[in-house]
Amino acid sequence: MSDDTRDAAGSRPLPPTGGVEPAGPPSAEQSASEERRQDGRRASERRPTTIRRAIRDELAEEESTDEFYAETHPQEHRVTPVIELDHVYLGFDRPILEDVSIEARKGETICLVGESGTGKSTTLKLILRLLVPDRGNVCIHGEDITNLTFEEALDARQHMGMVFQSAALFDSMSVFENVAYPLREHTALDDDEIEHRVREKLAFVDLDPDQVMGQLPSQLSGGMRKRVGIARGMANNPEIMLYDEPTSGLDPLSTGTITRLIMKLQRELDVTSVVVSHDIRSVFRMATRVAVLNERRIAFFGTPEEMAASDDKYLRDFLGGS
Amino acid sequence: MPALTERLADASKQKLRTVQDYFGLAGKALRFAFVRPFYHQDLVQQMDEIGVKSLGIVLLTGFFTGMVLALQSSVQLQTFGATMYIGRLVSASMIRELGPVLAGLMVAGRVGSGIAAQLGSMRVTEQIDALNTLGTDPIKKLVTPRVLGALIMMPVLTVINDFVGILGGNLISTLLVGVPTGLYWRTVWEQIASDGFTLRFIPNDFVQGLVKPFVFGGIIAITACYFGLNTTGGTEGVGQSTTRTVVLSSILILVLDYFLTQILLSVLAV
Repeated sequence: MSDDTRDAAGSRPLPPTGGVEPAGPPSAEQSASEERRQDGRRASERRPTTIRRAIRDELAEEESTDEFYAETHPQEHRVTPVIELDHVYLGFDRPILEDVSIEARKGETICLVGESGTGKSTTLKLILRLLVPDRGNVCIHGEDITNLTFEEALDARQHMGMVFQSAALFDSMSVFENVAYPLREHTALDDDEIEHRVREKLAFVDLDPDQVMGQLPSQLSGGMRKRVGIARGMANNPEIMLYDEPTSGLDPLSTGTITRLIMKLQRELDVTSVVVSHDIRSVFRMATRVAVLNERRIAFFGTPEEMAASDDKYLRDFLGGS
Repeated sequence: MPALTERLADASKQKLRTVQDYFGLAGKALRFAFVRPFYHQDLVQQMDEIGVKSLGIVLLTGFFTGMVLALQSSVQLQTFGATMYIGRLVSASMIRELGPVLAGLMVAGRVGSGIAAQLGSMRVTEQIDALNTLGTDPIKKLVTPRVLGALIMMPVLTVINDFVGILGGNLISTLLVGVPTGLYWRTVWEQIASDGFTLRFIPNDFVQGLVKPFVFGGIIAITACYFGLNTTGGTEGVGQSTTRTVVLSSILILVLDYFLTQILLSVLAV
């Protein structure tokens, strides 16, 4: 019998999953099993408080991103928001966003969280000017981008980097060509300079350039693809980085690596970031402020500490359910 | 009743919008051919993909079509003792009609489906959005090189198809019907010359045979790019885009062939 079919103590074989329950009166073993199930149920009922406490404990352990931000960015540097959504409304067949107002100041990492289908990725598309709001303004460095022409919007996007949920690497190009793409498109750098820049960016995201540059995206693991996506997004040294669920579908170690990279970008390069994420643990580690979208509206916008301490029922449920 | 008319009006509007988008895409793709930056490498790559890699299939279909044309016409012409005119019949059929249409249908099947599948996959895996966010216009980067590649390579493929078809006819008329090769090629040339010349030295048959593939090439590339870029619904959507591309391109080629023939015959006064 293999070890993984035994319980934690390793002494008793676990029942096969999906097996048929034996008929007849419950044995002593079955009673114990039922007791354990009830304990589990009671534990899950207590879970919200435990998770919130765990988040608070974790925040207390390491220097939080918002504290770091407050220390490194004096108040006068934080006046004009780099990104500002001002009372934005958007709808297609049905309303998607209603009266959404958020802002990100220089060097901040804003995390957008909320249930699936609440308009988080749509918000990123508004910032990228891939979508135009029905009402309200989207400003970058104080300039409204909603009235830009298609060509002007293309220019504006050169100052932003985007990391997609699926990484969205060009699968017909090598890793080198992927990272070099924005440099070839929008800079006059020669081949040597481009290679130098690509190596630098790949090293920044903890990839060995010599090992990965010649590989195709299909030859990389999910975590490596995301890291190449970040390297491509930051190749042009953008002031703004946008991440659409950068840790989704990754194992816990890769999730930690990507989270650390986003924090590294903020702390070392002072990049302003907006991160859409479902991973509350990562959000609490990297966010200077968190925006919670619920039913098309911003339900909360504040620091992770404020979020963890909030008594709002929706926020409590949201954190407890994560 | 009002609900029905409303639904019909909505459906008509939707169709009109689709046609408008289709022509909008075509217009943008051609306009971007004259606007920097130029994607020369992509154009060469597409010319290779559309032209060079389609050569095998075009050679094969052209050769066998020419052979079967010679074989079928020999049966009819033998009745009148006019087998020496096989060359005229094969060349007229191949250059004016079968060459452009067959090459068009072959390219629609091979290249059109490939373009739709590639762009459709790029759409569903967010690669088109990635191009947009990297400050590149996807139409300029992806559609223009494909349209130009098809416009350039389709006439080339058609000329090869015509020649190989006439060669196939030559093989059959010489080996099976007993028409000497010299006589065959002389009647081919007589046919080409008999329809007159444009600008004194371009045979009208060649004008017909080259205008059509040029138009067909554009239709195949635009249709494939349109369906590819508008793909929704994951891998299933990619499959649907591919099928729609091949079906619509084939229909448009056959329908437009008639109208183009009508126009060209009246313009060239053949």
